[in-house]
Amino acid sequence: MTNVNCDQLIDYLNGTLNEEEQKQFEAHLAECPECRDIVDATGELPYLADPVVPNAGMKARILDAVFDEEAQQTPLAEEPKKRDRPAPPAPMAKRGFRTSKWTPLVAAALLVSLLGNAYAFYELSDQPDAPAAPEVAFETVDLQASEAFEGTGTAALVHEEGALNLLVQANQLEPTSGDQVYQVWLLKDGQPIPTGAFTPSQENEGAVFFSLDENTEGWDTIAVTLEPNRGNETPQGEVVLSAAIDPEA
Amino acid sequence: MEKISDALLYERVRGKDKDALEELYDRYEKMLFSYLCKMTGDRDLAEEALQEVFVKVWRGVGSYDESKGKFVAWLVTMSRNAAVDLIRKQKKPSVPLDEIAEVESTDSSVEETAEWQEKSEQIHQAVRHLSEEQQKMVHLFYFKGYTHETIAEKCGIPLGTVKSRIRLALKKLKTSLQMVQEGGVLDDKREL
Repeated sequence: MTNVNCDQLIDYLNGTLNEEEQKQFEAHLAECPECRDIVDATGELPYLADPVVPNAGMKARILDAVFDEEAQQTPLAEEPKKRDRPAPPAPMAKRGFRTSKWTPLVAAALLVSLLGNAYAFYELSDQPDAPAAPEVAFETVDLQASEAFEGTGTAALVHEEGALNLLVQANQLEPTSGDQVYQVWLLKDGQPIPTGAFTPSQENEGAVFFSLDENTEGWDTIAVTLEPNRGNETPQGEVVLSAAIDPEA
Repeated sequence: MEKISDALLYERVRGKDKDALEELYDRYEKMLFSYLCKMTGDRDLAEEALQEVFVKVWRGVGSYDESKGKFVAWLVTMSRNAAVDLIRKQKKPSVPLDEIAEVESTDSSVEETAEWQEKSEQIHQAVRHLSEEQQKMVHLFYFKGYTHETIAEKCGIPLGTVKSRIRLALKKLKTSLQMVQEGGVLDDKREL
């Protein structure tokens, strides 16, 4: 059956109906199984594309932006992200000192010593007339689990005296088998370097501490992959946890 | 545990349930991102478009209910239109399509899941039932990011004709897709 409303289907799909027409067409859609079936069929069209692995850290960036949008209530028109680098990280939504997620004793001790200092300096340098404090910057991020991965993780990065210290801690990890390891990577413009590997404990927890003396700036993403073996220079396995980090931090 | 429906998850999103939004994101991230990459030829632009879609879902811009068809179709329409807008603003994609393809072919972690493969086979099969002209219409409208006005202009066909051709193409696609699915390839329970 074709009537005036059915003719608006393509305008509807094209998003070019005005508000009133849109409402009318949606009412029509509820009544017209033929139009609804056609709309439903368009939901299958993406499978004509080849599957593409999502950008590293994309989920974290998008969800941060989505939930951040709400907090800021900025109009949609002002929303486009900066496009001056390949994978612009969302603003750091979660920054601060949180110990609750850092259950293993070693990790907690390391974090306290690192972040304790950093936090003190951070506070200090926040003062308008603070004396020149040592250059210390830190951030903590919650790592976002990839689809179908149950684990959770947190990363802390501390810039101190020209070095970058990285601490990653993860929970509820799936056990590894054979030579498998969880490998941590730092990425800059999509290029990864390995920054430590670990296997989960019996409690399915794991932590790794890594320190970089050179090339400490500009990392935009942290990721954890499940590698088939230790020592890979580029990731061979699936990304299981990842987050955007602030390259300026 | 039975998988909760998209519509129910969307209801929860409307109640500002962040976990529900994350679940929807996980369900459709790869599908929509793959589609948007093909359409924009640019991973960053695709990510930007996907972000806009989920910002809109979260903020309840153009709300969904089941009377509008399947949730996934609603998402696809939003994704297409977000990408069309971004492409228009950008004038042209900054990364050529073949470069994307190259990135993919060297990526050893690409794994086509069984579900993707099945869906992909079905839709490819359904598309083969369309005439060349109809395939072109679907391609231009859904994968080139052309509006129907642009298609009319580029193909030198009146706008009304373009609209009815796209509609006919999609209608035929729906019919052949149903045929393919009823041919026993589709397991109904796994339908999105």
